[in-house]
Amino acid sequence: MRPSRASQTLLFLALCAFTVVNLTPIIWAFMTSIKLPVDAFSVPPKLIFTPTFEFHYQVWVEKQFWQFLINSAIIAVSVVCISVPIGTMAAFALSRMRGSGSRGILFGLLAMRMFPHILLAIPFFVLAQWLNLIDTFPAMIMALVAINQPFTIWMMRSFFMDVPLELDEAARIDGCNLWQVFYQVALPVVRPGLWITCLFSLLLAYNEFLFALVLTGPNTKTLPVAIAEYGAEDLNYWSLSAAAAIGIMLPIVLFMMALQRHLVRGLAFGAVKG
Amino acid sequence: MPGFDLDRRRALGVLGAAAATTALAGGTARAQAPVQMISHRFPALEFYAEKMRGAVEGVEVNTQLMPFDKANELATIGLSSKADTLDIVYANDTTVHKYAKNGWLMPLDDLWAKFSDEYDLADFPERALAPYRYEGKLYCVPHNVNVMLFFYRRDLFQEAGKQPPATMAEYVELAKEFNTPMRAGTIKCLKPIDATMNEVHWYLNTIGDGWFDQDWRPVFNSENGVKAIEALKEVTGYAQRGYATAANDECTLALQQDLAAMGLQWASRTAAMDDPTKSRVVDLIDWAAAPGGHTRTATDGYAISAFTKQDPELLFRILATSSSAANMREGAAMLVPPRDSVLRDPELVKQFRQYPGILAALETAVPTPPLPEFYEAGEFITRRILQAVAGEMEVKAALDAAAAETTQLLESRGYYR
Amino acid sequence: MQTQRGLWLFLVPSGLVISLVLLYPLGYAIYLSFFNYYLGGQPPTFIGFGNYVALFGDERFWGSIGKTVLIVAGAVGLEFVLGLAVAFGLYKLTFGVKPLNLLMFLPHIVTPVVAALFLRWIFTGRWGLLDAIIMSFNIFPPDWLGTPGWARFTVILADAWQFTPFMILVLYAGLNTVDNSQIESAQMDGAGNWTILTKIMVPAIKPLILFVLAIRIMDAFRFFDQIYVLTAGGPGTATETLTMYTYALAFRLLEIGKASALGVMTLLLSALTIGLLILVLYRRDKGAF
Repeated sequence: MRPSRASQTLLFLALCAFTVVNLTPIIWAFMTSIKLPVDAFSVPPKLIFTPTFEFHYQVWVEKQFWQFLINSAIIAVSVVCISVPIGTMAAFALSRMRGSGSRGILFGLLAMRMFPHILLAIPFFVLAQWLNLIDTFPAMIMALVAINQPFTIWMMRSFFMDVPLELDEAARIDGCNLWQVFYQVALPVVRPGLWITCLFSLLLAYNEFLFALVLTGPNTKTLPVAIAEYGAEDLNYWSLSAAAAIGIMLPIVLFMMALQRHLVRGLAFGAVKG
Repeated sequence: MPGFDLDRRRALGVLGAAAATTALAGGTARAQAPVQMISHRFPALEFYAEKMRGAVEGVEVNTQLMPFDKANELATIGLSSKADTLDIVYANDTTVHKYAKNGWLMPLDDLWAKFSDEYDLADFPERALAPYRYEGKLYCVPHNVNVMLFFYRRDLFQEAGKQPPATMAEYVELAKEFNTPMRAGTIKCLKPIDATMNEVHWYLNTIGDGWFDQDWRPVFNSENGVKAIEALKEVTGYAQRGYATAANDECTLALQQDLAAMGLQWASRTAAMDDPTKSRVVDLIDWAAAPGGHTRTATDGYAISAFTKQDPELLFRILATSSSAANMREGAAMLVPPRDSVLRDPELVKQFRQYPGILAALETAVPTPPLPEFYEAGEFITRRILQAVAGEMEVKAALDAAAAETTQLLESRGYYR
Repeated sequence: MQTQRGLWLFLVPSGLVISLVLLYPLGYAIYLSFFNYYLGGQPPTFIGFGNYVALFGDERFWGSIGKTVLIVAGAVGLEFVLGLAVAFGLYKLTFGVKPLNLLMFLPHIVTPVVAALFLRWIFTGRWGLLDAIIMSFNIFPPDWLGTPGWARFTVILADAWQFTPFMILVLYAGLNTVDNSQIESAQMDGAGNWTILTKIMVPAIKPLILFVLAIRIMDAFRFFDQIYVLTAGGPGTATETLTMYTYALAFRLLEIGKASALGVMTLLLSALTIGLLILVLYRRDKGAF
């Protein structure tokens, strides 16, 4: 049964309307970033104005945000490259295990995520300080990997739960050992889930603020910390924040655009269920 | 296809590992450790940070400026762990007592005496240094004085034939008179905690009996204190929309965008009123001491961490250099100099039209009580007052509750023995 | 069985990282909740459950629980309903899915610290965008951030704005894994969209739904940055959630012991909520979880 043209167009328009409303704060913030403060916060709001790119220029060139982008990139990529593989392995194990041991571990992981982060800031600082690792990349990377584990494991486990055990057994009969079952049989099936998990891990590491504030210093300062330095006290700071925030979205957007091919292509794997 | 994807992932993995290793290697090599400074951020402090960076030849100063709350968080985390990650710390008149009492700062009296001639430190009047004394010892080098003064629209006042108010009663009257739906009578900044404290300070000191008595017992819930908060509550009826979550930025914006006719704001915001890239009311705002006086004066300065591994003399030199008279003169447009020679300079009064108002306000201004637990008590007090203003509680009940909570807090910290 | 033992090996790398990095800070924070610890100098003194007892008698604590539950329920509920609806819409759409997907996800990418500022510029009284639009129709809008009821509504909206895209993406991925054959046979039996969605697709992706709801509830309990910038817990205490109170205790009052106790309470509350959720979702088939 093919959906009618009319209903498809209606659906598309509805979704477009939702998207536009959803994007309003971002569009408005972008416009704020190219206006002079007197126009940006004027009453009534100005839709016609002379644009200025001075704030974007200030952010990236004068305030040298490109340096912080490199720091953020190093940390985010490292976190994804470590966190996703080990989390996926653990998720595979937990999805295949029977018994209360695995359930206990799952709930333990969940419990770790439920504790307010602001209370972990001081112990983390003390630990990193004692190990002399403040303002180094490893400290930040390992902290984020650990914090990210519960989410990664839970997410990948959901995807692994959809891979039927029959597939595992068939592979075993064919002579595969456990690692081969994981790597060559189960993993390809959950590939879209893997990419989604990569995306969220990247986002978490890229946008993390509190631990970056505490664990990084001048040499490893990340973008969120840099942006947060301009929150208040002068109207120009608001325009700078807007310019910075819009600017730093770009790498993630580009990553997502590259990712989309994998997402949409792989999503039609309903054929696995037999 | 699977192989291709996995190769890409493997390549990414190698890249990630390589990045991590180089970072590890690079992070450990450091020669003369740079001086770490952390500070609040507003234009005057940015100016001083730049001066600190170039203060002493061959010494690198890493300045980290961020909004006050975050700077305070970071300072608290670092100093309470007795870490050596911070050398120079921003402190204002409210945080310095807390930091000093907790033993987080180094007393500066000896260094002050030693370098007094070299940097002409006698130029700082005792009035500028008093807020930074705890148990008699000095902990901070003042860099900027800030005071809340009265902003008002000269054009609107002239049109209505009015003079800026001299008493609180006049202020309330005028706020009511000037209040229209399109333009509020006055601004009120009642975002918890800091903004509310500033407003309440003015009311409590002008109408009320102040915050505490000599023994640190709360007096803000006295009869006059209740009257003060009731006046505050009344004035919010003539305030700009959104006053309950307005901090200094929103209030400044309201004035700049012609959304209010008058109100109390910081001296550091005066220059922005005449900046055409920020303000629609260029040259239309005038300044005076607040009606009834007794507004808050704050001092921004820098202290030395008690746990620093750097040479204290070097750190002091940096601070003394950045707070030189020449620097203060250079930045006079955006800051109010603590040094007498600069503050009393008649040239400044001629050059900057906000100075007469600032000097008038300084005459009657009052700093917040030098109680280390003041901000913590302020937590309770402002909450209760805001509940009263929002109509959740009666004013008297709210103030009594706040007094009880404050007394409990101070008792637990060893007061009233 | 050998397989089972082999599986434990898979847990080792992750387990190692977690125990080395996370266990000490977490353990220390929870350990501190049994102490009276003022960060300003005196060493901590052991008081057992003293902090917890104090919290139970603290009306501010109970107030913050109420507000937190309200905001979490409102936000997650809104996100789920909206997310499922939009995901289903995308699922049914036959063109333009990729660009829409990408655009809808943008709010989730914005750094939370600044997302709060963006929302502030929309919701602030008088010069915020929302107020300006409504006022141009000559209607006087309520004070979004300044009146208690509306402030809570705005906070819920703020959370939903940033996290509905998360729901949409994950649910959309999930909907796409549902077996086509089942859907086709239902359609041939004359089932409409609503029946297909509720009777076939939702049950099929139950583990995923549990996952997203659990994650969102947990995160909504810890929601901080936006509330801090938008209302700072105000007006009065209308939006003072558990996390705002925890922040005040930890960084303003420097009462680390009490703050840690509050953190543990937050943890227990989240766990309770999610436990209830699991009970409700898996009412009929407990073994499937």
